[in-house]
Amino acid sequence: MAKRLKPVDVVTIGVGLTGSLMALELARAGLKVVGIERGAPRFTVPDFQSPAIHDELRFSIRKAMMQDNVKEAVTFRNAPDQSALPIRRWESFLPGTGLGGAFVHWNGQSFRFQVADFIYKTHIEQRYGKKILDPELTIQDWGVTYAELEPHYDRFEYLCGVSGKAGNIKGAIQPGGNPFEAPRARGYPTPPMKEPYFGALFREGAATLGYHPYPQPSANLSQPYTNAEGLTLQQCVFCGFCERYACEHFAKASPQTVILPVLFKNPNFELRTNCQVLRINLDSTGKKATGITYSDAAGAEVEQPADLVLITAFPLNNVRMLLLSGIGKPYDPKSGEGVVGRNYCYQTTGGATVFLDESINVNPFMASGANGTMIDDFGGDNFDHGPLGFIGGQYVGAIMTNGRPIEFHPTPPGTPKWGLGWKEAVARHYNHTVLLQQHGTSTASRLNYLDLDPTYRDAWGLPLLRMTFDFPENDIRMSQYVADKVVEIGHAMGAKTVIRGGTKRPYTTTVYQSTHNAGGAIMGDDPKTSVVNRYLQCWDVPNVFSIGASAFPQNGTYNYSMTIGALTYWALDAIKNKYLKAPGPLVHA
Amino acid sequence: MSRELTRTLAAAIASVGVVGAMHAHAQSPSRPPDAGRGAVIAAQGVAPRVPACAQCHAFDGASEGSGAFPRIAGQSTYYLGKQMRDFASGVRTDAVMTPIGKALSTEEVADVAAYYATVASPFLPLKSGDPTLVKRGEQLAQIGDESKHLQSCDDCHGPGGAGEPPAIPYLAGQYAHYIAFQLQMWQRGFRKSSPDAMEYIAKRLDDRDVAAVAAYFQQARTATPPAQPKE
Repeated sequence: MAKRLKPVDVVTIGVGLTGSLMALELARAGLKVVGIERGAPRFTVPDFQSPAIHDELRFSIRKAMMQDNVKEAVTFRNAPDQSALPIRRWESFLPGTGLGGAFVHWNGQSFRFQVADFIYKTHIEQRYGKKILDPELTIQDWGVTYAELEPHYDRFEYLCGVSGKAGNIKGAIQPGGNPFEAPRARGYPTPPMKEPYFGALFREGAATLGYHPYPQPSANLSQPYTNAEGLTLQQCVFCGFCERYACEHFAKASPQTVILPVLFKNPNFELRTNCQVLRINLDSTGKKATGITYSDAAGAEVEQPADLVLITAFPLNNVRMLLLSGIGKPYDPKSGEGVVGRNYCYQTTGGATVFLDESINVNPFMASGANGTMIDDFGGDNFDHGPLGFIGGQYVGAIMTNGRPIEFHPTPPGTPKWGLGWKEAVARHYNHTVLLQQHGTSTASRLNYLDLDPTYRDAWGLPLLRMTFDFPENDIRMSQYVADKVVEIGHAMGAKTVIRGGTKRPYTTTVYQSTHNAGGAIMGDDPKTSVVNRYLQCWDVPNVFSIGASAFPQNGTYNYSMTIGALTYWALDAIKNKYLKAPGPLVHA
Repeated sequence: MSRELTRTLAAAIASVGVVGAMHAHAQSPSRPPDAGRGAVIAAQGVAPRVPACAQCHAFDGASEGSGAFPRIAGQSTYYLGKQMRDFASGVRTDAVMTPIGKALSTEEVADVAAYYATVASPFLPLKSGDPTLVKRGEQLAQIGDESKHLQSCDDCHGPGGAGEPPAIPYLAGQYAHYIAFQLQMWQRGFRKSSPDAMEYIAKRLDDRDVAAVAAYFQQARTATPPAQPKE
């Protein structure tokens, strides 16, 4: 029998970015909040200090900061007629675990989505007609607009201290920024990062082709910054250990640096780590959550009653928690009915390798997770798709986050795969090669979805999440179109050789692409096609909110952390100012 | 590419503040640095403008151990040269060093920096500080202090404070009085070099912390006791 604890007001399932933001605001509003974190507690000091944190084998290769996929994996297949198998070694995407979640090991790439992203279906059909959409595509509007989210983007950027150059302030295009940027109320909190040499080469090359290069917005800061919570971030030292690592230097925005020190001072908040949530409990009607049941560090089952349950886990795990708890109707790809697991999306990536003359020193090790130079000329709907026959786009940039020795050793085609010839080629090209990134939209398709695996279970005996995914043909056409443009930029940078990138089918989980898993518990205005309403409140169980990128109906061009932060503040605003005053559905279908 | 070199070059960029600022600070010397000429300047000075460096820093760069003058033996050419340029430009100010920095030519600075960078001089067998203080200093140096939002000194200054040349100086074996005095200079805004990193950190240290890191680093490298002659 599970031990039953005293009821609390709010429980968060996960204490990462969304969980800690929610907890801070709600504890401050006077509610008793318990944060349940499956991983360990960890802090900048002592856990993230050098030299231990710069262990490439431990963190990059063995993925020490990620969900333990011996205990809890995700099964994967490309299509419904295949059998899914568990991913026992993370490569394609990296779900974080531990206090702070994936917002600890992120790169700090800090974009907003664009105006059209939030009204995607309406926008695309208005501009191009329905014929541009392949029949399997299931794009939707979000139910929230950019204008509604703008103040929340702003607030989240100022919490994180994002370093960048504004491209559009209240509709006025700003020289040096991104002219395609959605209008913002004010500039970034701190100036952009210094431009590295590879960025300068890209800037020159892209500008000669008439594109619009700009400095990538970064949550690894260009200068010290104190946020409204009184927490100070320091200046990034370009150590080249951002993604897959935690910042030793208090220079990257993370729950540890910008939220948790204040949260821990609030007596209304209690953190419980190493606790695996098994399910959300519902009452006999199935319309009201009574709390959660979790397995504590000793393996004992504990029931924590709560009035309000916030699912604040990694997006994939948000969807799994809903499925395990029987909240919402699971999606059925045959009939197209049901919602939970529907519109699972990813990110369509790619990129070119640009080999330069040996007289040009790139110094790739002198890097930060988000100090690239990039263009948005092929992002989103920034270019005319009419004659092209696909929707969506990608940003393109020289975004080199590291020159770490195990992971970074580009060699041109024809190089031996091992031995002296390989070693010589690595030494020759290490400092004279630029990687160009393509990173963009993932279009929702009725063929891609998440459900519970019928065969494989986790360490607690519960079914694993099953992912069925392949890139829609639309996204392949899009990525291949942009790939041609990237090759031209590579040559404009003075390349000796450019190796073309671009995404191909089938999608494989054995090569890193992106950790921007999205959708599966999407938001919208219609309970027939969404799991949560525009305030991220579950349609079926109004005292459960599912917060994060699982709510995206499809994925936009950009790295999504800022949009998650903005959505979290948006939902918080509704919880504080509407829900708490009159608990119940915030939208009546 | 070794990890240390990676960190070092990365730190070099951060410490100068702006990528490319290295060129803005320094006029390029007209010839490669000459450690031999540097040794002559160290021993004799440049009459009549500049006294011999050795008068305060000793010919072997170990100075005299009081901490009134830092140990400079084995600091990198880049670091030593940059300090001289900072004295000349006013980024650092010091009654003795400012006029010397202004009086030396670009080539002379490079020569004398090259000389002291290559000197391997012994560490003085100084008295160790209060053990409690040293222990606190060791904690700050190796681990940091979460409650003060302070990372470890070793993150940038290298394992055991051995330095991350060329940009970041060693602290191990540096004199306690000198370290403490420099931290106070940052706290009070008199030292402007690498202000984004060190001014913030110095201001988070209280007087006892300053004394603690200073005491710790002085004893982090001391003289190896001479081997006992075998009977």
